Amino acid sequence: MRFPLNLLTMALLGLSGSAMAADFSVNRANTDKVNTSGFQCRQCQLAPGLSGEVTANAGYNDSDDIHSGNALGDGRDGMIASVDAELGYRSQGGYRSQLRAHDLGLDNGFVSLRTGRPGQYQLALDYRNLTRFENSDAATRLWHDKGLLQPSPNLRYLDLELERQQAGIGLSYDFGALASLGNLSSYVRYDREEKQGHRSASLITPRPVNFALPVDESNDKLRAGLQLSGHNWFTELAYQGSQYNNDINNLSLPYATDLYSATPDNQAHQLTLNGQYRLASTIFSGRIVAGRMLQDEGLIQMTGNPLQSWDGQVNTTDANLAVSTAVNSRLRLGGQLDYRKRDNDSSVAEFVQLELNPVSGAIRQNPLLDIERQSARLNASYRLAPGYRLQGGYEFKQVERSYGEREETRDHSLWAKLGMQLVSPLRLDLKASYGDRGGSRYQAGELTSSETNSLLRKYHLADRRRTAMEMGLQYTPLNWMTLDFNSHYALDDYRDTVIGLTESRDYGYDLNLSLQLSERLSAYGTAGQQWISSQQNGDQLTPWHSDIKDNFISLGAGLAYSGLLDERLTLGADYQFANSEGNTLTEGGAYDDYYSFNHSAELYGRYHLNDAMALKLTYRYERYFDTDGNEVGIDAVTGLTTLGVLNHNYNAHQLMLSFSYLLP
Amino acid sequence: MISTLKISAFIVPIILLFPAVNAAPWADLSQTELEQQLEQKFSEGKYSPKGADSCLMCHKRDQKVMALFQGVHGALDNSRSPMAGLQCEACHGPMGKHNRGGKEPMISFGAGSKLSSDSQNSVCLGCHNDPKQMAWHNSLHNLEQVACADCHQVHAAEDPMLNPLRINEACTSCHTRAKADMSKRSAHPLKWDRMTCIDCHNPHGSLTESALKQTSLNTTCYECHADKRGPVLWEHAPVVENCANCHKAHGSVNESLLKARVPQLCQQCHADDGHAARAVAQGGNSAFGAGKSCLNCHSQIHGSNHPAGSLLSR
Repeated sequence: MRFPLNLLTMALLGLSGSAMAADFSVNRANTDKVNTSGFQCRQCQLAPGLSGEVTANAGYNDSDDIHSGNALGDGRDGMIASVDAELGYRSQGGYRSQLRAHDLGLDNGFVSLRTGRPGQYQLALDYRNLTRFENSDAATRLWHDKGLLQPSPNLRYLDLELERQQAGIGLSYDFGALASLGNLSSYVRYDREEKQGHRSASLITPRPVNFALPVDESNDKLRAGLQLSGHNWFTELAYQGSQYNNDINNLSLPYATDLYSATPDNQAHQLTLNGQYRLASTIFSGRIVAGRMLQDEGLIQMTGNPLQSWDGQVNTTDANLAVSTAVNSRLRLGGQLDYRKRDNDSSVAEFVQLELNPVSGAIRQNPLLDIERQSARLNASYRLAPGYRLQGGYEFKQVERSYGEREETRDHSLWAKLGMQLVSPLRLDLKASYGDRGGSRYQAGELTSSETNSLLRKYHLADRRRTAMEMGLQYTPLNWMTLDFNSHYALDDYRDTVIGLTESRDYGYDLNLSLQLSERLSAYGTAGQQWISSQQNGDQLTPWHSDIKDNFISLGAGLAYSGLLDERLTLGADYQFANSEGNTLTEGGAYDDYYSFNHSAELYGRYHLNDAMALKLTYRYERYFDTDGNEVGIDAVTGLTTLGVLNHNYNAHQLMLSFSYLLP
Repeated sequence: MISTLKISAFIVPIILLFPAVNAAPWADLSQTELEQQLEQKFSEGKYSPKGADSCLMCHKRDQKVMALFQGVHGALDNSRSPMAGLQCEACHGPMGKHNRGGKEPMISFGAGSKLSSDSQNSVCLGCHNDPKQMAWHNSLHNLEQVACADCHQVHAAEDPMLNPLRINEACTSCHTRAKADMSKRSAHPLKWDRMTCIDCHNPHGSLTESALKQTSLNTTCYECHADKRGPVLWEHAPVVENCANCHKAHGSVNESLLKARVPQLCQQCHADDGHAARAVAQGGNSAFGAGKSCLNCHSQIHGSNHPAGSLLSR
């Protein structure tokens, strides 16, 4: 009992302190006595010029799997080259430019340029290449050509990879003081992304056949805004829009047209008005957003389709109001109200379905999914004493939806957190939360009422109790050593679910050690584990039960030693290990292996030849393995055609020599 | 995850480089005493006669101090810069008698400062009062007493938080579970800094849940996955409602960032007429548990625009 009394005592003693946190903002400064005409700063003048570093990299990749390109930055096997840059340029009159490039020339790299007069205007230019590698040996007998999947007796091997090329241009301009209204500033930015490659997909011929879906699409984005600000307020009017275009058409087989519908082009637009007003130590923030998502792509023309094109239109509304107030230097209270609505105003028609739906029959009307959500959040933070802080909060969320098995769900949750600086080197944080979800009567949906299993509760709609706890320990026994330990435990109990997900647990810890052993030598180590277990029931002819036990391990260590050889040489090493594993147990037995692991290592040395030049040699190693029992040979399962066994098992190496030119 | 800012891997080197911060003559003052003294000085407004030149008489040998002039906060030729006004004292407060032996406190920032984060941050927020900081006061970072200077540096040619190659390192020095998630079997390419945490989250807070930059979680995902945005003729209700119903954005031990493997994931919601709830005793034995499992047929799981695609299979 002594511990809480001590806290209380400290809290009461602390009340004699200042009522509020100090506000040292420059616009509150007492400048009556200051004369800035004498503020010359003769000692801080900088000569205009270029500074920074530019680096040319040349190296060699040794890998027989393009998947290694995710870790090594490039999927090629052989010579690679790239450029890095960190350049800054200052000119007289306050103009500044900055060029940054990283791995430019590899499958994953970027370059960005910022130029202008900070605080007045700035032009931004960006380019990025982002590639995700999946598999290099996906086997298919379907050859794609302009929307036709041509069957072939010969297998074709394709790379499953997606390359995104992104480019953007942005301009911001500050108009300064606008009469007596306030400061006006503006920005506009345009971005374009082109994505190409192949990804895994599947179609029904009527047998299921996995195939490599070609991807050729683009996304154009525009955002612009006007901001007006005064001493204790600001407001912004902003627009953002996006136009998505897909250049891959609906897919056909020679004997069956339009078996697979292409992702349709779409647009999204949002208009936002937000603002903030500060009244002493209370801050009011609000936002209203009106959005619209559109899609009017021509529909596949077939018997049973009454429409040439479908007018898809979804209107969205978002509104938020937040208040935060510092009651005194110890207590801060906050609250927020949110409203979100998705109103689907698309056209409705009846379509003949090729597969007989046992629920709705052969003819079905497209449903319009509307969602309306309201939420409220409250929080409080109270400083009990120096180093001791208690926080708490309550959150409520109500979601109403059309055509769901449960038209309304309501979530309540409470949380509390206590942070304690127990003794000088040891800090402890404890957090606990409890949430409960209920709602309207769970019933089969309007469209599926007759056949859905009456005992099934979909997990995102079901009654649920969520209990979670977290603990964090930070130990700093010496000014050169920090040890962090964090752990968490969460239990989701779907208490009324008989069929479906009934329980889910997620718990784990991570440990992080940082050492600054000397001015030149630093080291770190990390370790973490996580366990996620779920239990679910199904009902085919008889009920069945399934346990899913996932776990994850990560380890890491590294060190960096600088200042060797007369301050010229820096050496470093990093190592990471990660293991992801999933175990599925059903009453019929355990699933085959489903796990992946990787060892990643990097060794580097950087040597300064002189003040203007440096050499760096880097070696990177990636060992990667993954397996999935569901992966089977192309025709291993009767009636199913796959892309083959797409597991990975490789060792990849990269050796890179870098030459840097350093500007003063 | 408990995300209290810690003296972590990211911050320790900074402290060690500047041990003098901890050895200030006013180190013996309590936080309350220090704030009271600084408030008194601030209200008296006894600024130096020569601005930065007065400060640099003593501090010019400190490389960290002089690094200010490499960055935008040290620009003399910019009317918005502190150097165009009260110079060093715009942020560190009026000098008063600090130059007479250096025993009178000044406003200081970062992990070595005894000032409360609210007081430190009031300096920054005095100028950085714009929509990006709109939700700061209700944000997790503010409630956790994170100071601007815990992440940002103005005494540098460039604030490291403007460098996309250093952002994830800073965030994960506290958000350690998110760091571990980056190494799971499937994850966004955060581990290699090809995405940054701030592509989705606003560390200064947001009026959207989880400090997301867009107005909802789905809108955030659509920024890069516009093909999933729709609307489409046949929508999949949980997809429309919340991408996180099926996916874990920070990483998963399952492929495609899925919460669970197929067919189990699908069967957590579907048991219609026994077909969807078919017990798959072992993966790889039938079309229900091999290849893409349920998605062998229902491949348009995010929604279909095919007139006959109500079962999301075309």
